[in-house]
Amino acid sequence: MKESLLEKLDWKKYIGTETESYTGEPVLGRDIRRYALAIDDPNPIYYDEEASRKGKYGGLAAPLFYVTWAVGVPGSEKGIKDLGEDGLASFVGVPEIPNVWDLGWVRGGEEIEFVKPVYVDDRVTVKGKIVDMKEKDGKSGKLIFVTSEFVYTNQNGALLARHRLTMIGTPRKESTDG
Amino acid sequence: MGSQRFFEDIVEGQEIPSLRKVVTTVNILMYLSTVWLMDRIHFDHPFATQQRGLPNVVAPGNMGGDYYAQLLSELAGEKGVVRKMSFQFRNFLLPGDVLDVGGKVTGKYVNEGKGIVELDLWIRNQNNINCVPGKGLVELPIGGGKRA
Repeated sequence: MKESLLEKLDWKKYIGTETESYTGEPVLGRDIRRYALAIDDPNPIYYDEEASRKGKYGGLAAPLFYVTWAVGVPGSEKGIKDLGEDGLASFVGVPEIPNVWDLGWVRGGEEIEFVKPVYVDDRVTVKGKIVDMKEKDGKSGKLIFVTSEFVYTNQNGALLARHRLTMIGTPRKESTDG
Repeated sequence: MGSQRFFEDIVEGQEIPSLRKVVTTVNILMYLSTVWLMDRIHFDHPFATQQRGLPNVVAPGNMGGDYYAQLLSELAGEKGVVRKMSFQFRNFLLPGDVLDVGGKVTGKYVNEGKGIVELDLWIRNQNNINCVPGKGLVELPIGGGKRA
């Protein structure tokens, strides 16, 4: 019971590991519009160019939290045969860690500082870094907390946002307690 | 949208205008397809319930962040700025949920000439459970909008 899962996985050495930087394709008006529709935000500045020019951003910009998606999930665009059983091909936050799929993952919490909005035609770059790992005993077993920090910039190198994401991993029922 | 709020208008302890959101499988699908997220817990009911033990398919937690971004953007108005937000995912947002997305002012201060407002945030479902407790930081214009 006392055994540390984090030590067993030997993951702590990955704290401080940085991901490559990834740059997305130019953001489309269609991306912004569909995103706004999905989150049910009716503000015309996301749908209508003229309204957006007169609005606070002076042009077509995305709802603020879209910045976390503006690059997509690096490595996620794969064919069916390359996807895990979850439907996922990569894990945002800890892509380099071996055996990451031995755990099932859910989002724990997020923190984001907004500096500038994402505009249409922007090419956003993200760079991530693993900043912390923790282990706790949950009701149904060990919980692993992996916190990563992501920095988003645009094509001019301007800082858009700083984002911290904590993912919570739990051993999968069928593959644990071995 | 609506009239501009100023720093002076804000009173500690006051609740800000809330949003009502209804989670539907269609909105979830719109979100997944627009961000290319293929995690089966969000759309595959047998997988979500039988293999992952969830009560239903679940909305991507990120949508809660988007609801907060909208809530705070509407508070900030044209002349304010949404600075920061943070939140923890405590309960899943499920199809059929009717959500009250709101916030309460916990503090206000002027920092480097900027009017800063701190808030506690909630996304309460129809059972009055705060599924995604959070905090927000918004800058509001000072002095009736004379600031550039």
